Amino acid sequence: MRRAGPRRLRVQLDPRHWPLLLTVPLTVAALVAGVATVTGQAVLARMEADQGRHLAALGAAFLDGLATAVQPAAVRADVWEAFDALDRASGQYEALRPTLSVVVLPDGSVLASSSPRVLRTGAALPRSLSGPADQAIASGSPAIDERAGRAVVARVLLEGGVPVGRLVAEADIGALLAERDAVVRTLVLANIGIAALFAAAGALLVRRILLPTERLRQRLLEATQGRRPEPLDAQAGSGPEHLALVNAWNGAVAAIAERDLMAGRLAREEGRAQLGRLTAAMAHEVNNPLGGLMTAVDTLSEYGDRRDIREEAVGLLRRGLDDIRKVVRAGLSSWKTGPGEAPLAAQDFEDLRLLIRHEVSRRGLTLDWRNDLPDGVRVDRTLARQIALNLLLNAAAASPPKGVLSFRAQGLSQGGAVIEVSDVGTGLPADAESLLAAPDGPPPSGGGLGLWTAARLARSQGGRITREPTPRGTRLVAELPVPSHAKEVAHAS
Amino acid sequence: MAPACPAGRRAVLAAVALAGPRRARATSLAPVRFGLTPVFLESDLALLRALSGHMEAALGTPVELVKRRTYQEVVGLLLAGQLDAAWICGFPYVRHADRLSVLAVPVHRGRPLYQSYLIADPSLRARSLADLRGRSHAFSDPDSNSGCLTTRWLLAGQDLSPATFFGTTFFAYGHRNVVRAVSSGLAESGSVDGYVWETMAETEPGLTSTTDVVARSAWQGFPPVCCLTASRQGAAARGIEATLLGMAASPAGTEILRALRLDGFMPERPSLYDGIRAMSQDLESRA
Repeated sequence: MRRAGPRRLRVQLDPRHWPLLLTVPLTVAALVAGVATVTGQAVLARMEADQGRHLAALGAAFLDGLATAVQPAAVRADVWEAFDALDRASGQYEALRPTLSVVVLPDGSVLASSSPRVLRTGAALPRSLSGPADQAIASGSPAIDERAGRAVVARVLLEGGVPVGRLVAEADIGALLAERDAVVRTLVLANIGIAALFAAAGALLVRRILLPTERLRQRLLEATQGRRPEPLDAQAGSGPEHLALVNAWNGAVAAIAERDLMAGRLAREEGRAQLGRLTAAMAHEVNNPLGGLMTAVDTLSEYGDRRDIREEAVGLLRRGLDDIRKVVRAGLSSWKTGPGEAPLAAQDFEDLRLLIRHEVSRRGLTLDWRNDLPDGVRVDRTLARQIALNLLLNAAAASPPKGVLSFRAQGLSQGGAVIEVSDVGTGLPADAESLLAAPDGPPPSGGGLGLWTAARLARSQGGRITREPTPRGTRLVAELPVPSHAKEVAHAS
Repeated sequence: MAPACPAGRRAVLAAVALAGPRRARATSLAPVRFGLTPVFLESDLALLRALSGHMEAALGTPVELVKRRTYQEVVGLLLAGQLDAAWICGFPYVRHADRLSVLAVPVHRGRPLYQSYLIADPSLRARSLADLRGRSHAFSDPDSNSGCLTTRWLLAGQDLSPATFFGTTFFAYGHRNVVRAVSSGLAESGSVDGYVWETMAETEPGLTSTTDVVARSAWQGFPPVCCLTASRQGAAARGIEATLLGMAASPAGTEILRALRLDGFMPERPSLYDGIRAMSQDLESRA
């Protein structure tokens, strides 16, 4: 169990072992999420490009307007005029949301900024602005710093082709980024919602689609648990695949029913054949002493007055009648009870010895009989006797003339009985041996019906018949355990 | 940034509306050209419209208000005879007193006097001119008495000049601009017309509240309305003189004066500009 736990867990975690009811909705959700992610990325990329173009256009418009105003001031290095232009412009470009505008002289010093307390006149342009400004001038587009939520736009101020300074502006793009974040959030939430919706719809749809399959699975499960296979309603299927599946199942159920019917009929015929053989054996056993009895009766009628002859004839009559009584008792013992009505005892097998004596002698066989079965074994005596009788008759038929037929019976340590029947024939054919492995299969088309019947009976009692290795002939061992319900009864008692 | 005085504007615009018929009649005549400098809040366009409307109504002729960026340009136009009169600073007047005559002098808080203010960033905690050493300084105009001459003269008295005393200096060409420069931090200190600063304290307290008045000069003659002496007896000059001196007598004029925070106009008084003249001469003698 320690080894099986993790392995079982691994198997359960393996998606290949997940039920369709789970995998299909998950697959649908994953596909929807994938499609949504791809389309979302496209939307975001487009939006980012649009925002970039929009920002570039706003920045260009801002620079165009402001450059015209500050350029004369830059030429004259007029602090106030530069500041006045920047200060007036700072409140007139709400769309760009400039936070700081600076006129920088060619030597890199600040002529004026829109926020003199932040960046005073005469100071050097800080690296945080000069770097992005250089980048913006080189690329001709805003230098965007998303982490800081700002963009820097810049332009060189030219007077007659001569640089007279630079106009640098920093804009707050927090609103643009917030808008993009809002779109991302909306996309993510919408995608999750859509994926969940599709997954739920997929689960319901798959559940509906798989309903006929689930019913079929239930029927199969019931069949494996020993219940009689029941057909399905063909109209319950949805689609040709399920209809074909249901029709196939119903065909299998019909075939199984037909096979069982045939098996039952064959079993009954086998029973009747066995009964016929036993009847013939009993008739033979009765007929054997009858000749002597008739001779004794003739002797008595002719020489009954002679004491010695009369006594000898009466003795012969008594022994003959005693033999007949034994045979009749064995027949009564064999057939007076039905299956499941009495436990198995050693005497039950002893009766069999009498019943097969005729078959043994007819074939000139030697019976090696050893019956060590204790009394009161909680195994169905009738079925156990039928199994043993089938094995004995089968072994007798397979034995060559003058061969040895062995019978062993003993109890199992956990209760139950084990029967061993051996012959010195040519060995068990392969098709006959396959009957032992598949007793629930169809009955054999050729011989071996008795062996098939014995194997079915053993399996019905929770036991089995196996072929054990032997130097010559065939050695079959039937293990008949105590049925579980019998154990429960014994435990309760 | 525009001056806020809605009640005053409504009143002066109403006064202009009342003078409408006479203005319409005046449009066919040659206009009177009246020059303006930033000795007052000339950036208030509504006030300028009201002033021109009042003058047109009073003169019966069209009035063209002429503004330039610097005092020098306006004084130059006046001296060139291209303006009939101009409201200029006392400093250019005393420099060109041989060619200019005073038509009227504004009366502020009962007197034709005003002061020059030294203002500074409150964070400097400056208490005198000496505390502003090494600081950036905004002057109003090179030809402004309160916005330049007075501070130069004070420094000259200590054998100093703006270039050696202050860290950096620049001209903002307007007293209101000086207040904006100091308020925004563009300059750490500035020289400004006290009348303009006080008026802004009422109309734009957000700007003046972020400046400290470090020092006030002695009382000096209020910037006068002048004309060429050669034109002193002309109809335009006399009309302007009469209009200004009588402004307080009319409701429309009163509204304009209220917007200007002035009590009215009065004729020139002898020795009114002696203080400015003395500073100017002192500086010239040191040059």
